[in-house]
This record gives sequence, C-alpha cells and structure tokens, in this order.
Amino acid sequence: MQPATVYSRDRCITGIHGMDEILRGGIPYGSTVLAAGTCGSGKTTLGMEFLVRGALAGEACAHFTATEPSVKLLENIRQYAFFDMNMIDSGLINVFDMDVLYSWLGLDKASFDLEDVHALIKAIVDIVNTIGVTRLVIDSVTTLCYKIKSEQLIRDFLFTLGKKLATLGCTTILISEITSASENAHWSSFGVEEAIADGIIVMGDVERMGHLLRFLQVVKMRGTAHSRAKHSIELTPLGVMLTPMLKWGAVNDNTSRWGA
Amino acid sequence: MNKQMKFNPEDEDFFGGVGSFGVPKFDNAMHGGVPRGFLVVGFTETGSGSELFAKQFTSPAEEPENTILISTNESQLEIARVFKKYNWPTDIAVRTLGEEYNAKVLEKELLASRYRLEGFKLPDIQRLAQTRFVDDDTQDFLTEMTNEVMAMGPYFRAVIDSLDFFMQRDDPGRVVAMLRMMQAHTQLYRGILFITVSNDTITPAVKQEMAAIADMVCDFKVRTIGSDFETSMIVSKFRNAPENLSIMVYRVTPEEGITPETVERIA
Repeated sequence: MQPATVYSRDRCITGIHGMDEILRGGIPYGSTVLAAGTCGSGKTTLGMEFLVRGALAGEACAHFTATEPSVKLLENIRQYAFFDMNMIDSGLINVFDMDVLYSWLGLDKASFDLEDVHALIKAIVDIVNTIGVTRLVIDSVTTLCYKIKSEQLIRDFLFTLGKKLATLGCTTILISEITSASENAHWSSFGVEEAIADGIIVMGDVERMGHLLRFLQVVKMRGTAHSRAKHSIELTPLGVMLTPMLKWGAVNDNTSRWGA
Repeated sequence: MNKQMKFNPEDEDFFGGVGSFGVPKFDNAMHGGVPRGFLVVGFTETGSGSELFAKQFTSPAEEPENTILISTNESQLEIARVFKKYNWPTDIAVRTLGEEYNAKVLEKELLASRYRLEGFKLPDIQRLAQTRFVDDDTQDFLTEMTNEVMAMGPYFRAVIDSLDFFMQRDDPGRVVAMLRMMQAHTQLYRGILFITVSNDTITPAVKQEMAAIADMVCDFKVRTIGSDFETSMIVSKFRNAPENLSIMVYRVTPEEGITPETVERIA
C-alpha cells in the first residue's frame, strides 16, 4: 500500500542557532507559542532574537513589552551583536510599551473587564494587520494577564488573540513567567495559557557540577515533529545558541550520575 | 502654637481692614466691604447672576499679580470679554479649570474612545511605536486649585467659581477639607476668598458644613415676579457683624455690572 502524501506546514524559520533543528525546520506559520521560563532563563533575549532574525529576512516584526519599559529593554538588548538599533529606528521591529498602549486606549484602571479585553485584542490585531506583522512577541503574557481577574476572561483573551493572529499569518511567541521549570511544574502562571498555545517551550536552569546551566525544552509544538530533549542555552554576544544537553542529568538526579 | 504672620504697617495702611466687593453699593450696605481674612461662600441658583458677581468680586484687584479668578465653567475668552465690557482690570491671573479639564481629560478620553472604536491608523501605530513613556496625566484639579490659593501671598484676592466642578468629581468630604485649608490660609494672610457653589450639587449636610467654615454666607436667589426676574442676595452669615445680615435685590446694568437696587419694588 502506498503511503499517503505527507503534508508539511510552512515554517517560520526562527534563525536561532539550534532552534530550527529542534523544530525540524521552524515553527509552523501562524502558531502561538508559549515560551515559559524562570527568571533569567533568556526568554526576552530569545524573543528579541526571533524578531531580529525575522527582520533580517525582511519580515515586519512587533514586540509588546509589559514587564519592563521599552527604553530599558532596548538598552539591555543592544549589547548583543545581533541587534541593531536601526531596526527599531527604521520600523523593521516595532517595540510597543504596553503602558503606553493602555494609556492610549484609556485602560488606566487596575483590572480589565470584558470590554477592555476586547479593546486590547482589537488594538493588537489592528497593529498586526496594519503593519503586516508576521512575527510577534508579547513579553510577558503573565504581566498582561495580571490585569485580567477572571480565569475565563484570560482564556478568552488568549484564545481569541491567538486565533486572530493565526488568521493573519502571524507567528507569535507569548512569553510566560514561571517560578519553576521542573517536570512537575506548571508551564504557565494562570494554568490556561498552556492549553491555548500551539506550542510550549520551557526554559529554566539546571544545576550541573556546581554550575547553573540554562536549558530549553520544546514540550509541545502542534503541526511538526520536534525534539523533546533538553537543550543547553548559551546567551552569547552573537545571540542564543542551543546545543543538546549531555544525558548525565542533574546532580540530584541519582539515576543518571557518573557511574550509576 | 498657631502660625502668626507679621505684616508691614505700610501695607496694613494701604490695604486696610476691609476690601471692596467690587460693587460700591454692596460695600456701603456691608459697612465698608469684606473684612480681610474672610472666606465668603455664595450658594447659588441658576440664573442668579453669581458668575458675573464672582468676576466683579475680583475687579478691585488691589494687587493684580496677587489676584486670581479660578473658573470651572467659562473659557479665558469669555472671561476676557466680560472684563473688557465692564472695564475691569485684565491683568489679573485667570485659570480656567474647565478648559484644562476638556483639554487634558476629555480630549484624551475622546481619543481613547476613537482608538477603541475605529482602531489604529498607520500614523497612530508609528507614533505609538516611538512613544516610550506615558504622559503624566494624573491630574488632581482639586489639589492643584487648593495649592494655587495656598501659594498666594498676603492680602491676596481669590475667587473660585464654582466648587460644583469638584463636588461632582471628588468626594465632597475632601472638597470641604480643602476648603478648610484655604480658609485658614485666607485668615492667616488677610486675604479675601470668594467661593461659589450651586445648591443643587451639595447635600444639606455639606452645605451646613461649608456654611460653618465660611466667615460670610450669601445666598444668590432668582425668582419671577410677573413677567420679570428678580435676583437677590441674602447675607445669612457675617462673622462678628450680625448687623450686616440683609436681603439685597440687585440687577445687572451695562455700566456697573451687578448693582443693588436702592428703590424697593412694589410687587
């Protein structure tokens, strides 16, 4: 019997060293990927490099920053050789301060209701649609969702946003802050983000021989086969570098110690 | 110990113990005018002429640089027109909080509604992407107004027309607290402060409290007599001078503005 024709989705090539190999060619276009990581695990750098590589390929990119002011974000990111401020000045990468967006939309209140959430979705979708954004990063969806008090509303917000962005062919990375990246930990702060996302990338730290190593693991990615192994992340001046982690595990992992 | 001010005797001579209402006939009726250090509260009715009276109250402007009119309803243009019409000094400070509110709050709200309804256009998005800081739009008009009055020097003359704006947007308790502060400052600096508030925007309890703080209370009334209107001012409180309590009917003349009628009408 002849095998059926294998359908392969178009990919958004991340351009991040090692990432496209893990994803067997890149993130399926239009996916909403949750990049969940602990503090200092390299989420923002990963997100920004994702945009820079897209901009270098001529794609329109947008970054919504909610965790830190854009001025601070840009000051921190410009130390990387892969980043060029001209990309911001020329509008290849559009960085939006969520605080400014809230202010423009009159969302100065402490918590958002349904109408506010819809206004926010409409604004983000408007921006994506008008500029023709194909790569989007929201950093972080955790900070953004803190203003949405109901879990149902968070679910609606993420689901609707993801659906609309996918329709526009925009590949989105939603950065999520988590306190632990261990196997039993949740990959999202509110518990709903992971269910909505097409893909989940977990980032954290693992202790090895007294060193704290950053790792990245693709837990889920709809529409593509992918490696589920932990990869070591190096934040080099040239950008993020992912290399497979050797299988000796963590120091507290007795099953995989030297000589075990 | 209470704060005390020392005044220059020459200034004391120049400014005297009382200031004019801006209406000579009212001054006569009040045995000279408004004692310095007085807070005068006018409870008003629509159409009673209190807005014109408030402007006229600033017209003596003993020191124009130490005289301020804070209006919450009228524009700079309207006020300037009235001052020119009656030949009152136009070099006093005028602050129009209503206009500021329109520009800083309402226009921003309108723009936000437009963005929410119609979405962002490309130039908006480009501007948004280049905007790194939120405008400091936290505007506390009540505190600003109080500070404005509290910053005035000895023998100042200030008019706030009217407190309705604050009563409708702030906690009335907070407005009354600010009024207390302004009253204390007025007393200490021998200033004259005239404030209007509409009867319809305050509860009887707030009115009672404001009347208690005030040194002089005037009720601006309007009623119809036949096919005509009669406007009057009832002086219902005059601290330490109960002989000044009176009812004065007044009208508006093109020459003098608000003018008490000296001839009793026959109803």
